[in-house]
Amino acid sequence: MAGVVFMETGKGPKKVSPEHSMDIETIKKDLDTECGQVNSSAALEEFRVKYIGRKGVLAQLTAFIPQLPKEERALFGRQANVLKNRIQDFIREKEKVFVVPPAARASSGVDITMPGLVQELGRRHPLTQVVDEICAIFVQMGFSVVEGPEIETEYNNFSGLNIPLEHPSRDAFDTFYIKPPESPDAGNPAGKEKFLLRSHTSPVQVREMKSRKPPLAVVVPGRVYRPDAVDASHLFVFHQIEGFMVDTNIRFSDLKGALEIFAKAVFGKDIKMRFRPHFFPFTEPSAEVDISCVICKGNGCSVCGRKGWLEILGSGMIHPNVFKNVGYGSKYTGFAFGMGVERIAMLKYGINDIRLFVENDLRFLKQF
Amino acid sequence: MKVTYNWLKDFVDISITPEALADKLAMAGLEVGGIEEHHGDFVFEIEITSNRPDWLSVIGIAREVAAGTGKTLKNNGFVHRSRFTVHGKKTGRRISINIEDKKDCPLYTARIISGVKIGPSPDWLKNRLEAVGCRSINNVVDITNYIMFEYGTPLHAFDLDILNSDTIVVRRAKPGEKIETIDAKERVLDPDILVIADKGKALALAGVMGGKDTEVTDATRTVLLEAAVFNPVIIRRGRQKQGLQTESAYRFEREVNPGIVNQASFRAVEMIRELAGGDLFPAAGSGVSVVKKRSLVLSPLRVQELLGVSIGAVKIQKILRQLGFGVKSSAKSDLTIDIPFYRQDVVQEADVVEEVARIFGYQNIPATSPRVAPQVSGLGNRELCGLVKDVLVGIGLHEAITYSLIDRKSLSCVSGRESDTLIEIANPLSREQEVMVSTLIPGMLRVVGLNLNQKQENIGIFEVNRVFSWSGGDPKEELTLAMALCGVKTCFLGQGAVKDRISLLHVKGALETVFERLGIRTHRFEPQNETGSMAVFVDNEKIGVAERAKTEVLDAFDIKNKEVFWAELSLDKLFRHKDLRKRFALLPVYPGISRDISLVLKEEIKAGEVLLAVKEAAGPLLGDLKITDYYKGEQIPAGFRGLTITCFYRSDERTLTEAEVNPLHARMCVLLTERFGAKIR
Repeated sequence: MAGVVFMETGKGPKKVSPEHSMDIETIKKDLDTECGQVNSSAALEEFRVKYIGRKGVLAQLTAFIPQLPKEERALFGRQANVLKNRIQDFIREKEKVFVVPPAARASSGVDITMPGLVQELGRRHPLTQVVDEICAIFVQMGFSVVEGPEIETEYNNFSGLNIPLEHPSRDAFDTFYIKPPESPDAGNPAGKEKFLLRSHTSPVQVREMKSRKPPLAVVVPGRVYRPDAVDASHLFVFHQIEGFMVDTNIRFSDLKGALEIFAKAVFGKDIKMRFRPHFFPFTEPSAEVDISCVICKGNGCSVCGRKGWLEILGSGMIHPNVFKNVGYGSKYTGFAFGMGVERIAMLKYGINDIRLFVENDLRFLKQF
Repeated sequence: MKVTYNWLKDFVDISITPEALADKLAMAGLEVGGIEEHHGDFVFEIEITSNRPDWLSVIGIAREVAAGTGKTLKNNGFVHRSRFTVHGKKTGRRISINIEDKKDCPLYTARIISGVKIGPSPDWLKNRLEAVGCRSINNVVDITNYIMFEYGTPLHAFDLDILNSDTIVVRRAKPGEKIETIDAKERVLDPDILVIADKGKALALAGVMGGKDTEVTDATRTVLLEAAVFNPVIIRRGRQKQGLQTESAYRFEREVNPGIVNQASFRAVEMIRELAGGDLFPAAGSGVSVVKKRSLVLSPLRVQELLGVSIGAVKIQKILRQLGFGVKSSAKSDLTIDIPFYRQDVVQEADVVEEVARIFGYQNIPATSPRVAPQVSGLGNRELCGLVKDVLVGIGLHEAITYSLIDRKSLSCVSGRESDTLIEIANPLSREQEVMVSTLIPGMLRVVGLNLNQKQENIGIFEVNRVFSWSGGDPKEELTLAMALCGVKTCFLGQGAVKDRISLLHVKGALETVFERLGIRTHRFEPQNETGSMAVFVDNEKIGVAERAKTEVLDAFDIKNKEVFWAELSLDKLFRHKDLRKRFALLPVYPGISRDISLVLKEEIKAGEVLLAVKEAAGPLLGDLKITDYYKGEQIPAGFRGLTITCFYRSDERTLTEAEVNPLHARMCVLLTERFGAKIR
């Protein structure tokens, strides 16, 4: 075979005799034979490497040119070129046959109706998703997110927020109290304030205002506790988001504006809102906020008790007594609001039983 | 509280429908829970906020209706003294009042009507009481109830002839003192409870419920009509102790206004004489029934500052007058506001601003965008928790949220001992919620159990929450990550599906991914005494544990024939080691050479030790070293396992040649055979 012959002579080009021009003819002949034998893509690749690879036949022919007598060089070069073109054309033709395009491969070899191959994602708990979404809305408005302890002092949970002891306004805040530690080396809590499980996130208002000066714009997500018997709409541990803003010129209209942005972002921009006077010990004026029922669009259904409105949060202008308790002067005004995360999530997703949130059935969690 | 449409009409003209009225009331702060028809009348169920005891009466609500609809009150309930004639000056008993402590009972009045004829109430009276949910008893008792609903002042009628002294005593009950109340229950009292007594014994639980002995019956001829004010805290505590909730106590707890007490009593006497006859005898009373006049100054500018809407001074005056406030212009543009006696809730300017806003209408206040001064806070715990959750969700775990109250047994079962730093609830709802969680693992196991019952074959859950303990007399809340894995994960690969049985290494992998995301490189896992358990360290600080749940623990959570793997670590500790700074490293310029070693090792030889030895022996040219395959089974003798280690050799200075790598790699193979007894395949 010409290749073999050539390899023997090609060890050192200098030793190769001028009659190598004859070799082009030999090469041509071998080429014809070998072309007939290329019957797979592997064979084609072998063929390509042999003839036009970096150390292939043609490369060697070209390297040989300078050693030829001047007058023969041109002819030899032309012949080599013709040979090269022929080889390249042949390879291009054969490639069409053996090398299958990726598209054709996908549709022929793979059942694309099979499940995709991927690492399955987990999900954040729906309550976390709702908390994150609500916090993000307020963060976009410029609020910062702060958290506080779940075990609180009676002062921060009640008195500091203008909720007097043994007052009917506390009825709404039935509370779990903490037993003082028994062992003497665990410290002596005598004379110390009573600890309780916070019944709302509002104590963080007291904490934040005591530790910082206005302007303040804060949202507080967190767990709260109330001794309610568990049923489809009550848990004794649930979540709230508190928000408040304090500066020298914060108005009730700002509260309305901020909450409108929030409600439209969470429930859609077609939602209607209304603010109703209400009473909270820590705000004055106080307002309860309703949105048009997300189920019946305000026409009245069982979810909204035929009223067309759903109560979603409590709010108001921070009570002057609260400002007094945290040592703020009368030049400041501010608003505050608080909402139950479970309720918002239930309305948003149409969940009918609050207990699903703490059961953590994967069939439930995977829906969000 | 319940009130009817027609009853309100006794006091104010109403020209709107019940539905429209309900809306009006709601927008003024009296939320109407429902409207029901009752014998041609409409009953409103209204939620009264605790700051408005004056609304616990028909007259109080009528006043609001008048203000909201621009009407004036036809009748404010005041009975002129001229309508009263004392009939029985000469005969009959004279009663004296003895109040043990004026703080418990600031006002007590008693009126005596003699010669009454007890009988059924007329239908209109029965109907009205029925409409508001009160059962008719007899004419006198019904009148006391009727007046309570109308005026907001609870009254009580005693059968005077049964009293065995002429002194009414208002005192605390003696320890162990007994009384049978009108609900036919015998009650044992204590000094937290205020009673009305004669010389000898308690006749009634003051302000809460009357006694059986002195109740007005068909045989009653002389009635003692009590109208009083009791301390709200005493009433509240007393009725809570007795497990009672009555219309009377409800009102006393929210403070009965002394200014209306005599009026209510007068009006009741008038009704009793109309419906049951009898003569009024001289009254006895003790305490103050006059409410001190109060006023405050309101700046109309302040109204605008607080509400964000300009309401003219004229409009403000009109609104306040409609609500019964007196308004005078004072210095500059300020207004002096006289507070009506029935509005004890109004004590400062903000309260008046709310009154203006309420009647002006919250819906008429615009919505404005608050000017927030932006405050950029760095990466806090919340953001770090977010990173951790992202990682875990990304590797297929689901976030769970569980209760933070639990029973002691579940905690000690998982932690293996009784903790003496548990935080206990003083008033738990049940034993299941008696302490704060000191570990999240019981909650995780419960969730695993629930999902196993739902036939889930791959369960991977985590929770980020707080655990609680006493720390030197102070409660400590520690941010904690827990995860639990159980079952078989089906991994679909190009070659087909692989059933991947969950093991402790899956937990390890999840934790390593978290550490990597937080830039933590100094972690290690150390075997603990028990098999299947390892301690997690970062920078030599123990931050948590990962283990295969023990059988006895699984039994406690009703998990049968399953393996559950869990980990719990302190995020507070972990986050202290985080390093989220990133620094670019130049990409390698020279190519490397990759060589695989397939070897068979004794099972007890730790893969980690093998890798460490190779890494140390190979020196700087070994760029990367990892286990790329491992297998047990047919081709491998028992007690051995097959490993494939891929060594990647690379230099930063030049392209490595085979001649350089080959001897180095050969040395690694020798090391493996000589030091670890590996058989190279």
